[in-house]
Amino acid sequence: MTVAAGIGYALLALGPSLSLFISVISKKPFLVLTVLSSTLLWLVSLIMLSGLWRAFLPLNSSTWWPYGLLIFTSVLFQEGIRILFWKVYKKLEDTLDSFADRVSKPRLYLTDKMQIALAGGLGHGVAHAVFFCLSLLTPAFGPGTFFVDRCSKIPFFLLSAIIALAFVTIHTFSMVIAFNGYAEGNKVDQIFVPSVHLVAGMVTLVNFASGGCIIGIPLLYFMAMLTLLHCGKMVWRRLMENQQRQANM
Amino acid sequence: MAQNPRPTSILETLGEELVRIITPVSICMLLVVILVTVLSSDSSSTVTVNSIATIAYTETTSDSTWDKFVGALLNSLVFVAVVTLVTFVLVLLFYLRCTKFLKAYMGFSSFIVLGFMGGEIALFLIEDFSVPIDCITFLVVLFNFAVVGVLAVFMSKMAILVTQGYLVVIGMLVAYWFTLLPEWTTWVLLVAMALYDLAAVLLPVGPLRLLVELAISRDEEIPALVYEARPVTSQDSRAGVGQRRVWRDRRNENSNDVSHSNESIHSGLGENGSSRLNFNVNASENDSTLVRAEEGRVPDRGQELSAPLLEHITNAQQRGHEDAVSGESMVLEGIGLGSSGSIKLGLGDFIFYSVLVGRAAMYDFMTVYACYLAIIGGLGVTLMLLALYQKALPALPVSILLGVLFYILTRLLLEVFVVQCSLNLIMF
Repeated sequence: MTVAAGIGYALLALGPSLSLFISVISKKPFLVLTVLSSTLLWLVSLIMLSGLWRAFLPLNSSTWWPYGLLIFTSVLFQEGIRILFWKVYKKLEDTLDSFADRVSKPRLYLTDKMQIALAGGLGHGVAHAVFFCLSLLTPAFGPGTFFVDRCSKIPFFLLSAIIALAFVTIHTFSMVIAFNGYAEGNKVDQIFVPSVHLVAGMVTLVNFASGGCIIGIPLLYFMAMLTLLHCGKMVWRRLMENQQRQANM
Repeated sequence: MAQNPRPTSILETLGEELVRIITPVSICMLLVVILVTVLSSDSSSTVTVNSIATIAYTETTSDSTWDKFVGALLNSLVFVAVVTLVTFVLVLLFYLRCTKFLKAYMGFSSFIVLGFMGGEIALFLIEDFSVPIDCITFLVVLFNFAVVGVLAVFMSKMAILVTQGYLVVIGMLVAYWFTLLPEWTTWVLLVAMALYDLAAVLLPVGPLRLLVELAISRDEEIPALVYEARPVTSQDSRAGVGQRRVWRDRRNENSNDVSHSNESIHSGLGENGSSRLNFNVNASENDSTLVRAEEGRVPDRGQELSAPLLEHITNAQQRGHEDAVSGESMVLEGIGLGSSGSIKLGLGDFIFYSVLVGRAAMYDFMTVYACYLAIIGGLGVTLMLLALYQKALPALPVSILLGVLFYILTRLLLEVFVVQCSLNLIMF
């Protein structure tokens, strides 16, 4: 539906990430590189998943459990990637700290580490939005629009943009929670992230039922809000603790 | 959080060099993708491109896959052979120190690229968008644009943004013309050029390696059409001497333990170059007139200590044609360290990356995103290898091969998967 609508859908999915990028990430080149590499990593994991499932596609679109299995394996795989990302980051952190010592600059602050985690999460979120929403948006720039049977009241592009926005939020902030959980050894955080991801994925299965998107999408946003709040609480707590420690020193 | 200012952490400036080279590459790719999508939407006027790259075989849609592949292979072999020949000629001319000639030729070839190729693309755009402009205004504007471009790449005394902008525009124009080649030929050509680049730089008999060693032995800068990222001003005073030359720079860097930011990234690198022939076709003529545009380089003498931006060499080879002027263009490509420590990337790299992404854009946008990420990843890997090995490295192979791989994987595997999931509103 014209260029304006196409740009609108794109901004709907990617608007908050764009503002996050411009305000926080673009100022530090290292974070830009982190975003790019985590986007690439997510893409590679997606390609591997699609390679795995290619033999079984196209799935029979009347039963829901193959899709459930698909989501389950995909989420598991991506959480594995997240752990891999954490391990690489740990090694990188050591390198960066020793480099900072060599140039006689202070070591990485807590906020720096959180920003790196944020950049990593943003990379994942942007990759999701780009491949699940933006790449399908090309027809939206033309004169028509498209509706899917299961949710026939809203244009498909709008639906995918809204869902992509929720997932961008979830991906971005779960990375912060996850890194913090691994760093502190906090079991709650470590379990929180994969379970939220899995639940969010499963919730999209609700969209399978005809007209199910009316329930599915608000549920998804509930998960996104949950992630946001948990992340906010955790960050606040860490920063307060850090400040206490600084004041005591 | 804290009220008193605390010392800036390393995160503020780390990786800046890399981002400064990734940005223009991304901009060039973006422009080519936009051009391709805008100009190919009306495929009624298909521009048939006849050039050396299609001399052996002209692809038609009715041929079988194997025929197309073999034809494309023949085309690429011819192209690579011609490029090798011309590179050797360049090495010879550099050896014989014919610098003035090369300099003049470089300016001339930039003019051809900006004037004629840019003009043709501008004409396509004017046709598409029905822009109301008359001939005389158009010619005057085009002429001015081309002349300023020639001056920008020719003399390094312009504002660096202007020079960088013009280099990106030249890369974009040449890349767009390459995307007009038939599909199989383009892909096989890209892979062939990547392999050629690998051979030319790393093999002892490779022309580019000879060029690099000549420049080292003479302690001269390699003349090349390269993009140099704006140098980062370091806070700590580097050895005050503005080190102009790459080789001297490298020796200095290796001798003292300079600790400055981004040390891990540039630790003395040589510049690498390869020549490229860019063939252009005057598509409006009914017979295949070969207009070959050139880009060359001029050695910059007497450059001040402030970071010299570009060094150019021109290589000249004139062959007459009916009306069009022709010659060969040499574009240096590869990655190296600029005299001021900033990263340099040859214009040929820009061109071939953009050709890959432009070709991917002709299929779908998902391939564009995948190939873009692959190329940037490849560029990062190449720069890391550069920091590791500290010698001239080819910038094409890793990125192009990764890009082609991701294109194939996306087209075969990813697209079906994503479309299946999305249409059922199943996402993760």
